[in-house]
Amino acid sequence: MMDSKKIIRFALAALLVFGLMGPALAAEFPTKTIKVYVGFSPGGGTDIIARTVASVAPEFLGQAMVIINKTGAAGTIAAREVSQAKPDGYTLLVAGGSETVSVGHYRELPYHPINAFSPVIRISRDRMILNFNANAPWKTLKEFIQDAKRNPGKYKYASSGHGGIYHSAMLAFCDRAGIKMKHVPYKGGAPGMAALMGGHVDIAIASPSEARALVEGGKIRSVTLTSLERTPLQPDVPTLKELGYDLYLENQKGFVAPAGTPKERIMFLHEAFKKAYEHKAFVKLCTRLKIERGYLGPEDFRKSLMGMYNQIGSVLKK
Amino acid sequence: MELLIDQFFVAIQGSNLLVLFLSTVAGILIGAIPGLTVNMAVALSIPLTIHMSLAQALCMIFAIYVSGIYGGSVSAILVNAPGTPAAAATTLDGYPMTQQGKAGKALKMALFASFIGGIMSIIILVLVAQNLAAFALKFGPAERTTLMVFALTIVGVLSGRSMIKGLLSGAIGLLFATVGADPMLAVPRFTFGMLELEEGFGFIPVLIGLFAVSEMLVQAEDRMQTSIKASYKESSDREEDSRLTRKDILLSWKTIIRSGFLGAFIGCLPGIGATVACFFGYGEAKRASKNPDLFGKGTVEGVAAAESANNAVAGATLIPLLALSIPGDALTAILYGALLIQGVQTGPLIFQYQLDAVYLIYITLTLANIFMVATAASFMSFFKRIAEVPRRILFPIIFVFCVVGSFAMRNSVIDIYIMMGMGVMGYILRKFQIPLAPLLIGYILANPFEEALRQALVGSEGSLKVFVVKPIAAGFLILTVLAIVFMIRRTLSARGEETQGGENREGEESEL
Repeated sequence: MMDSKKIIRFALAALLVFGLMGPALAAEFPTKTIKVYVGFSPGGGTDIIARTVASVAPEFLGQAMVIINKTGAAGTIAAREVSQAKPDGYTLLVAGGSETVSVGHYRELPYHPINAFSPVIRISRDRMILNFNANAPWKTLKEFIQDAKRNPGKYKYASSGHGGIYHSAMLAFCDRAGIKMKHVPYKGGAPGMAALMGGHVDIAIASPSEARALVEGGKIRSVTLTSLERTPLQPDVPTLKELGYDLYLENQKGFVAPAGTPKERIMFLHEAFKKAYEHKAFVKLCTRLKIERGYLGPEDFRKSLMGMYNQIGSVLKK
Repeated sequence: MELLIDQFFVAIQGSNLLVLFLSTVAGILIGAIPGLTVNMAVALSIPLTIHMSLAQALCMIFAIYVSGIYGGSVSAILVNAPGTPAAAATTLDGYPMTQQGKAGKALKMALFASFIGGIMSIIILVLVAQNLAAFALKFGPAERTTLMVFALTIVGVLSGRSMIKGLLSGAIGLLFATVGADPMLAVPRFTFGMLELEEGFGFIPVLIGLFAVSEMLVQAEDRMQTSIKASYKESSDREEDSRLTRKDILLSWKTIIRSGFLGAFIGCLPGIGATVACFFGYGEAKRASKNPDLFGKGTVEGVAAAESANNAVAGATLIPLLALSIPGDALTAILYGALLIQGVQTGPLIFQYQLDAVYLIYITLTLANIFMVATAASFMSFFKRIAEVPRRILFPIIFVFCVVGSFAMRNSVIDIYIMMGMGVMGYILRKFQIPLAPLLIGYILANPFEEALRQALVGSEGSLKVFVVKPIAAGFLILTVLAIVFMIRRTLSARGEETQGGENREGEESEL
């Protein structure tokens, strides 16, 4: 009797151990749906990137992707959720913009915006272009800066919200140019552009694709951008760097996993997403949606995020 | 002209019409279910449009949009649960009409007014899009601030019998709106460290809680054995009450036109939205009406005012989108993305380079309105039966939708608690006969008002002069003063009548 009980116990224990070890031994990943959190509403820029990737990537992942829009507090609610998720590669976040490089400098967040995550891949880079109203009195950025130096605090800029990446970019710009401007936050980039066109503010940031339609329509003039090289959409607009101001900020978007996710799973996801990124259908969608593709691998994406995070941090510390 | 006709034939291909029909049905149903919003439905349909033609994609989006906004009025009228935020003002008269057995009439008026409002806004879009867009840009922070101040006077109009209770209700609304990050420096207020509260109480949970849940609590007091319709003594089965008579249309046509213009005006200002528009339309209708006392007790005019205004917003929000590439609300932002997928670049040049797309937008939007009328009309008898379902069956179903809808807004459980809390508060306020509509208006207007006010003050370095110097802003302030004077005079004269012994008090119904 004792023996048979022992045998059963042993068998049960063995079953349990193998049952648990099974997946680990086989190293099968992924075996279930991958959840992607988006901190912004369906239909917005970040959401569109997630959904565009999700329309191509499952083929290479071997699993479906489900997009979860958990909106609120400038994307930080979704970021917190993912930072606390089990680091098993099944929970990802679309990150790289305000919630990653900017907001954390303005207030305390329940996670470290960079260190709580393990970057997987950068998908896109949205450049930030500074614009005047078409009827603004300044012909060049230089003229504006001279004027603004003589009149500190006279001119106003619009941002997409306090602590957002547009706000940080303008603060950094003012810091580099040595000028003081007034900040008028709006709810999102579009109302800020409307304020610029209506003459209620003097400078507003937009993405090159948004700006181009309005530049061609004679409503606004683009003057400079915060990237290292010019944008193909408006090749005659000089970068800040060319004008002698050292600043590099872009609104990046990519996938990150919670910190502590096993390296081989990160690499597997990276390979799958990279194949999706290079896929014809994805390239075509990006062209149509005017998403600027900007691949970076896990390490480079981390460095890039860290660089921008620190740049903004150094401006705000002053 | 030739191009317009070409595009018309592009639009009316069989497959497009099928898409129109299916999307209209889906739109009405989604709109009618509290908590499932039009924005969500449109956003989720975008991936489907990737492989469609432009005409097909537009048919789908516009049909869901237009009929979804109408659909919101169905549940607002039948069960006091606005299916979409834009239908909040529709409950004020729609539901009392259902209680009086006039659900059919209310539904038909809502449909008729929605259609006229929708078509009016398309005409405005076609004729004056570019001029109106230029005008909308003049609305800077100072102009918006005073517009909001003027809008707040609607609280007084909707206060009903007791001005004090109305103002109290409005103040509670303002108070609740202070929860969340402040619009200038993003300093969290009353959030107790919860990130979820940084955007304040979501509008949908507040709306559903205040109206639908509190209604269920009130109804739960009696035993819910009968249907909504049968539970009211005045319930009538007269043929006339389920039809839209010539008298109703004669009574309401001015209101419909006025609300249509107001809706179109508010729609073209980025960032204000259909909910404000429908209260604006409602408030102005009551101010202008010959019998303002009937408002809130079930008058077709009230339903007409709200519904014409909110559907007029649909066409008008396209004005800043097309002419300036500025999406004024979440829905047009989604539409902007959908148009980009199709290779249509909005902005000032669209009228030169992509006129075919512009025409196609006009035509499909018109078709969407026509399909809405046709489809909804054939659903009418089905809708009316909803009010005949016993409440013990109907209300649990609606409650499930309320919970799911609140959660689905942003996948957050806290919104369910907010909804329930608001339901209990709405119940208590009703018991004290405090009207709920002013609360909602205070709640909607508080944040845009604060945002605009503080933006204006940043620009003027704290000087209040901006509100007087700018002509449009000053104009709204004058209107505000006039509205207040008008209200005081009416209150005084009403009081005078009462003291003279005029005991013409009507039944003590609690007003919503």
